[in-house]
Amino acid sequence: MKQTRWQQATYRHPYLFALLLLVIAFTANALLQPNLLEPTTLNSNMRVFLPLILVTIGQAIVMIGGGIDISVGSIVSVVNALLATQIGLSGDLSTAGVMMGVALFVGMGAGALNGLLIAYVRLQPIITTFATSFIYAGLALFILPNPGGGAPSRLTAFYRETIILWLPLAFYIIALLLFIWAIMRRTRYGRYLYAVGGKAEAAYETGAPVRAVQFSTYVISGLMAALGGIAMTLLTGSGNAQVGDPLTLSSITAAVIGGTPLSGGAGGITGPIIGAVILGLIRNIISFAGVATWWQTFVNAAIIVLALAMPGIIRLVRRRRG
Amino acid sequence: MTRRHFALIAIVLMSATLIAACGGAPSTTAPTTAPAQQPATAPAPEGRKFTIGISNPFISSEYRTQMIQSLIEVNKEYKDLGITNELVIESADTDVAGQIQQLQNLINKGVDAILVNPSDVNGLNDTLQEAINKGIIVISVDQELNTPGVYNVGIDQKEWAKISARWLAEKLGGQGNIVLIEGFPGHPANVARMEGVEEVLKEYPNIKVLGRETGKWDEATGQQVMSNFLASFPNLDGYWTQDGMAIGAMQAVMAANPQKWPVLVGEGRCQFLQLWDQRLKEDPNFETIAVANPPGVSPTGLRIAVNMLQGKQVDKSKLGGANGLSFIIPVPVIVTKENFQEVFTTVCKDKPATYLLDGIMTDEEVQQFFVK
Repeated sequence: MKQTRWQQATYRHPYLFALLLLVIAFTANALLQPNLLEPTTLNSNMRVFLPLILVTIGQAIVMIGGGIDISVGSIVSVVNALLATQIGLSGDLSTAGVMMGVALFVGMGAGALNGLLIAYVRLQPIITTFATSFIYAGLALFILPNPGGGAPSRLTAFYRETIILWLPLAFYIIALLLFIWAIMRRTRYGRYLYAVGGKAEAAYETGAPVRAVQFSTYVISGLMAALGGIAMTLLTGSGNAQVGDPLTLSSITAAVIGGTPLSGGAGGITGPIIGAVILGLIRNIISFAGVATWWQTFVNAAIIVLALAMPGIIRLVRRRRG
Repeated sequence: MTRRHFALIAIVLMSATLIAACGGAPSTTAPTTAPAQQPATAPAPEGRKFTIGISNPFISSEYRTQMIQSLIEVNKEYKDLGITNELVIESADTDVAGQIQQLQNLINKGVDAILVNPSDVNGLNDTLQEAINKGIIVISVDQELNTPGVYNVGIDQKEWAKISARWLAEKLGGQGNIVLIEGFPGHPANVARMEGVEEVLKEYPNIKVLGRETGKWDEATGQQVMSNFLASFPNLDGYWTQDGMAIGAMQAVMAANPQKWPVLVGEGRCQFLQLWDQRLKEDPNFETIAVANPPGVSPTGLRIAVNMLQGKQVDKSKLGGANGLSFIIPVPVIVTKENFQEVFTTVCKDKPATYLLDGIMTDEEVQQFFVK
């Protein structure tokens, strides 16, 4: 039966729909913008998408574990504020390296606070991370009250201009993360993660360390947000305590487009990565399709809603036919 | 599990390599920047039309709407003369990364000049530098950037704020208790404006500032902040505020209707003039000041861009700013009791309440910035 085959396929490969959407979006974009396929254009797009991709991966892992992280954008801001003030426009590379290391710990620390409150104090994820997002946003403003600071151009050029064998730097980073995920997914931890997200009580009864797993997802999310913050700093070469704000909702949208249900226990990171790329491509398509100014925001949102609703629509149509 | 992921990685890498290989070949020999370099390196050949792009990262304000609208109108003038092509507009609510994408798309479309209303003081530097390297003329409108090579077109925010601050201080006779409602703390325009206010107030030591709070350039917040101030200081002698918040603040005063009205400053918007008119019916002696913050600086910037593309030499002695690359545009309208009736009955007559008092330089007026 066709119906079950599609359902099975999307269940086994949660990113299947996102992949389909990616092919469509990429084709549309490439038709409208023929030089999209050139390495330099590909690179200029990917370097803009990468911060969101990194944050989305963390978000997706939290969502698989049955939670949600509203504080990721603020963590990006904290990291950006920290790097911009501590490295500075004329900073040297060794300071930059040290500060990036510190930034990763700051991200994990912020994630650990979230995890502690949610997994051990047992507060609601959405409320908790919403509340902590203000703590982190406030911290970012405290570190960097006025936009300023930055990173030296030698450093930003590495992020902005590295192309190895026709492929932008971002591709290698994504490939590395997919590789790590593939290994992680196979371990006992990977199985616990899905069990905890699916049904925490049942997982607890079978002896899974529910709290530790929940806690860990937020630490991972904090770490990924810190990486996103580093990427954002290298992209903009400057500091702004509000730079991460828009990433929070975009990361959730990208994860959902990528086939990660808000109910947890399913999904992966492949789909969310694709989801984040799709969000960026949609903006390009609108730009190159020459959508009238006053309609750009509307069209952008409409396409996102359509992308979010599409799996449901497909299911509905298939059920009717079956 | 893993096999699938490895397969996917392989597919991603393979397709990407394929894509890169297909598209990559020509780019090694033919620089994609060639068309954009023409205007900068050589005078434009006869009949070549220029393309101008605008990047705007914030749409939820009347200022920006009016800015885009008048940009389209002014570009149409040049288009009808066969000088420019259709304006390329990148306008959507977005963040720094999103504006970088807007700018990259404009570069990719091969525009000859970029007008940018920046969302961040430094975050666009590298991207704007890339545009400049490709020979694209980059003009920051409305807000000043200190990026080397980037021209600025806008009003002098500090002087702008001083006009109404000085009016307030003189109206108070140099003494009294006032409060200040400011825009976003840390935003470059707000910082410059508040510096201007402080400089003026320093000359009037008998004016005491009882409180200073942000109204976030938002009408509703301005109203709320003013209500709180009126509750805490019932005998307030005056207040200073600016753009977007002055309407809300005055509405708060109208609602509270204190025995003695504080001396207040307004903003250059028809809706504010309506409130002014309304108040005049109750108190014929009421007076205030409205200094226009013109969205028209952007279309003026477009005219400057067109003239530069046509190969005219900028007269650097006429420019100001930190890098000496700023075209300072004079404030077009200041409304006081002397000209209130005139402006209100003519300019605002057939305009919506949201209309901002504006001024766009003509092509002739713009010539003052160029070497004859």
